Amino acid sequence: MKDEFSVLICGVGGQGLVLVSNVIGNACAASNLRVITGEQHGLSQRSGAVSIHLRIGSDVRSPLIPVGMGDAIVSLEALETLRYIEYLKEGGLVLMNSRVAFPITDTAELVKKKSTKYFGREDVENKLKQVTANIFSVDALELARQAGNPLTENTVLLGAMSVFESFPVPTEALKESIAKTVPQKAKDANLKAFELGAKASHDRFCTLFPCRKI
Amino acid sequence: MRDGGRPEGRQEMSLADVIAGEPRKAFMLCNEAIVRGALEADVKVYAGYPGSPTSEILDAFHEIGEKMDVRTNISANEKVALETVAGAAMAGLRGLTSMKSVGLNVASDSFFTLGYTGVTAGLVLIVADDPHAHSSQSEQDGRFFGPSAYIPMLEPSDPTDAIQMVKYAFDLSERHGVPVLIRTVTRVNHQSGIVQTGPLNRTPFKKVKWTHEPTRFVTVADSARKFKANMLERTKRIAQEFEASPFNRIDNPGSDTGIITSSAGYNYAVEACRILNTRPSILKLGTTYPLPKKLIFDFIRPLKQVLIVEELSPYLELNVTAIAKEANPQLKIFGKESGHLLEMLEYNANIVSTALAEVIGAKTPLDFEAILKRADALKEGLPVRPPTFCPGCPHRGTLTSMRKALRGIQHVQPTDIGCYSMAPLAPLFYGDTLLSMGASLGVAAGLQYSVEEPVIAMIGDSTFYHAGLPGLANAVNHKCNFKLIILDNSVTAMTGQQPNLGTVPQDDDASVQPLRLEDVLKGMGVTDITIIDAYDVKEAPKKLKEAFTRPGFSVIISRRDCALYGDRIKRKKGQPIVPNQVDKKVCNKYYACIRDFNCPAFDVDEDGQAHISRDICDGCMVCAKLCPVSAIKTTGEPR
Repeated sequence: MKDEFSVLICGVGGQGLVLVSNVIGNACAASNLRVITGEQHGLSQRSGAVSIHLRIGSDVRSPLIPVGMGDAIVSLEALETLRYIEYLKEGGLVLMNSRVAFPITDTAELVKKKSTKYFGREDVENKLKQVTANIFSVDALELARQAGNPLTENTVLLGAMSVFESFPVPTEALKESIAKTVPQKAKDANLKAFELGAKASHDRFCTLFPCRKI
Repeated sequence: MRDGGRPEGRQEMSLADVIAGEPRKAFMLCNEAIVRGALEADVKVYAGYPGSPTSEILDAFHEIGEKMDVRTNISANEKVALETVAGAAMAGLRGLTSMKSVGLNVASDSFFTLGYTGVTAGLVLIVADDPHAHSSQSEQDGRFFGPSAYIPMLEPSDPTDAIQMVKYAFDLSERHGVPVLIRTVTRVNHQSGIVQTGPLNRTPFKKVKWTHEPTRFVTVADSARKFKANMLERTKRIAQEFEASPFNRIDNPGSDTGIITSSAGYNYAVEACRILNTRPSILKLGTTYPLPKKLIFDFIRPLKQVLIVEELSPYLELNVTAIAKEANPQLKIFGKESGHLLEMLEYNANIVSTALAEVIGAKTPLDFEAILKRADALKEGLPVRPPTFCPGCPHRGTLTSMRKALRGIQHVQPTDIGCYSMAPLAPLFYGDTLLSMGASLGVAAGLQYSVEEPVIAMIGDSTFYHAGLPGLANAVNHKCNFKLIILDNSVTAMTGQQPNLGTVPQDDDASVQPLRLEDVLKGMGVTDITIIDAYDVKEAPKKLKEAFTRPGFSVIISRRDCALYGDRIKRKKGQPIVPNQVDKKVCNKYYACIRDFNCPAFDVDEDGQAHISRDICDGCMVCAKLCPVSAIKTTGEPR
């Protein structure tokens, strides 16, 4: 469906997914783009799997992405990318944080078996390749630290996402939205994180996937 | 204001839109749109008890109530909340309450009677069902509350509907003198979208003069029968009004295939039609009790076939089937009875388009089944990531101490609703029964009659105040022989750390008087009370063992702030959170910090040694107390 963009944003509880969704949502409101999201709130416990469906387009109605019709998955944690693979269209875009947070339940199992062999990022990437070749990973934690606040991984990934041509939200609107949406004391770090993410993404992926100039 | 319960990430900006004086276009969570609608309707009193997926409504009022001059009250439970706003509405002030599906079970006693007595000013009740049981103990379908209580019901599909319906609901409520139910589902409450707000004309809060009118709000015997007769007449009038309601509308009239739908189902139905590139006539119902039967009659009369798209029970389907008997006996009705759609789980556009494709003899552009199957195959080996106790969660310490104290002692453990409801699930499987808020105490009373093993009930502070008090009084009075452990973490943790009746305000809020658990227990006749520190996994097991072995009913309070709440207080006060680390030279891979402890801050490194993620470690030091070789130490560096 033309002129539409559906992205599944996923990660681990506590990584600030709702903030990303709000930044994009507010930017859409300011840019006359219609947007709806299906968010996961409620249980406040940290470290569980969390996801947000975000859909842009004048005719979208369902807050959930129909199976096989997502344009992109943006994951703030590498393992979580695979958990929502059914939503990605064939050849869709995957932008993932290279960081892995191993579920403690998995660690407990490994310890029982006296093993250290986790199901890790390579396993995830190998599986993702069966659905799409467009898999891009960013070390968001490192860039967030460079931005001055390790909690800005979410904004790094949003910056990285913003350079892809298919992502319809104007960069300027995103930046303005960040400035308005994040807590004021974290504003500068977030704007920096956005720029570092955008630059890293552009430098590394613009020859591989249609990107806009930054 | 007290420290609000808003999860990080929900920021001031969207609430700024919620309280903005001038109309504007804004990106809003549906729960916030509901709040905006109520403010535009000049709501005067809000009361509620948190529960997903409605908590953000309560959170918003908690945060802006004072500013907007709305009397706001986080109540003991949903019944008290409904009664609070009913009192206001009887007197003549507009009231709003919100609750999750099962919350209305608690409030239902007064809810049903309010159908009889009615109200003077507008009274609106938001009830949110949870198809898929994302964060609930059941997939209860709240739509049946409407017809069984003769209370009109509206169902929004998105934030735009919500804002309009809330405003209309107050108006409807006042004109007919009846409470109005607005029924939502998770995918409506937790849907954000762009809404156009209306003008905000708040009037100053003013008390009204009570007018005494004999039996106006008293229903028993003769007055109950009069109320019932009025209620039936009232329902007829409302049905008449709903026949012409703009909340019921037909998209693409004229097709011989129809869809009848409401709530989240409408969103999926529209999307399913786009996926299949087909244009059946869609009847979107916004007023689902009393149903606009004539509208439905006229809609189905010319149809050859109709698909009913509604999650959970076949509420619309049964009604349409009954109407079709006269309107169109030849009509083919597809839905749950026909096996095209499930009576459980939430839907999505692919699910509805598969059903619709079968009905119209088309093919879906994608083989959804195959995609799902492939995804399942790809996910083989991917570890699950269930919600777990947060780093620093006091429950982890309490459960560790309990396990130590009860080693080798078979016991039965009825538990309750809260974060600790995770304990009976994988990987701990600790806990035997889980019914509803406060049920641990009643179930324990029955178990202590019936089982050979000792019975140890478990409940959190908020749940105890919500529905545990009668069970406690009962246990004391009947000299029940079980133990009760109350996990006192200061707040209603699971839904976002909202204050409860026992929460000590973090600022000088003089509007509340926090209850003291010990005083409550003593006042109710409990004589054996033990208090432990949830983090003290060295001493607490001994105290627990003593308490468990003393005869008769006794209560143990395990105390520590919820870690998320505690962290927020620390951050506010500028106190550091200092994470721990594992000394690799000392760690001997005994894994006391991992086995049965399940703190998400832990994993193992390439050498198989325990490793702590310093960005999430809360520095509670409980793991350090468990390590037999003292390999866990503080990093000394704040996070």
